[in-house]
Amino acid sequence: MKEVIQGIPLNYYLFLSTVLFSIGVLGVLFRRNAIIILMSVELMLNSINLLLVAFSAFHGDAKAQVFVFFIMIVAAAEVAVGLALMVLIYRNIKTLDIDFLNKLKW
Amino acid sequence: MVEYIFYALSVICIACALLVVFSKNPIHSVLYLILAFFAIAGHYVLLNAQFLAVVHIIVYAGAIMVLFLFVIMLLNLNAETEPHKNMLTKIMATVSGGLLLVTLVGSFRAAGQVEMVNLDNSNIGTIENLGKVLFNDFLLPFEISSVLFLSAMIGAVILGKKQLS
Amino acid sequence: MQSVNYIPIVLQLLVAGGFVTLAMTLTHVWGPKRKSAEKLENFECGIESQGNARMPFSIKYFLTAILFVLFDVEVIFLYPWAVNFKELGLFGFVEMLVFIAFLLLGFLYIIKKGALKWE
Repeated sequence: MKEVIQGIPLNYYLFLSTVLFSIGVLGVLFRRNAIIILMSVELMLNSINLLLVAFSAFHGDAKAQVFVFFIMIVAAAEVAVGLALMVLIYRNIKTLDIDFLNKLKW
Repeated sequence: MVEYIFYALSVICIACALLVVFSKNPIHSVLYLILAFFAIAGHYVLLNAQFLAVVHIIVYAGAIMVLFLFVIMLLNLNAETEPHKNMLTKIMATVSGGLLLVTLVGSFRAAGQVEMVNLDNSNIGTIENLGKVLFNDFLLPFEISSVLFLSAMIGAVILGKKQLS
Repeated sequence: MQSVNYIPIVLQLLVAGGFVTLAMTLTHVWGPKRKSAEKLENFECGIESQGNARMPFSIKYFLTAILFVLFDVEVIFLYPWAVNFKELGLFGFVEMLVFIAFLLLGFLYIIKKGALKWE
């Protein structure tokens, strides 16, 4: 078992999830389509999940994996309510461009 | 052997994540995100989190991304309806995302190499073990998550029902 | 369980995917091709097709899909509970009853509101 896990240092997982998280941030800043922004947020949540699982494997502790469950729950609830909001926004302003959501700006 | 699998999965994952952000058609974005999630599930299997890998596929690829695809088809969003941003905002977004990446990677590099712990018990990711931890140490969060479900259901019904009438 | 033990599954996936790719490629390479306007129609049934395949469809499906996602995610808590059912005993049973009671409350609300009604 040892050689299987030990082939990969923990730092590699750290860098991988950092890159994924940064791509998620880039997606939030780069795109104006609200659905793509929600998908980028999902990507960021998943990079954190990956990091939690990597730490759990390297410390031999299952608690981090249970935490990942709860993050998945939050992601599902967020997506359900968020997409319902998207549909309502589309009904009202006929577009999902976030630059048109400026009614509360001053 | 495992290193090559790790590198292959990482390359797939990062490439698909970049394609999610940069592809013009929202449907292509969703499909690339599903591919990225499959690569992440592969990482979970490599890390001995087998049950989590299966749950990840069920929840993300099976439920959440289907809902995304559903909304995109419901609203009929194609490449033509995609709004285009002005160049300055794009450059600023790329610069700030890159700065975040450089800062995080730099600080992690400065933290130094992490000593690896020998993984003596490789069965921490099994369903029995996760169930024991979940129902002994995480009782209250488990019950509270049902309240979260309840509120999400009510919110979805209130938001979704209004547009039916 | 070790991750090395999953190599047969990966091989099976590769073989399954490879067979599909091979069969599709071979039919495209060897099969006869007669391209005409009628042949390239999406549905060759005599009726003119209208629009493209990306038609906006009814909002009625949407609420059902959202509620499906929520109940689908709830089920992932049931697997670890079911596997450890004997060890957790009565306490675990009551725990799960409370959890299900909250969800049942939500389900009753959905039924009362008529969110799943197909009209």
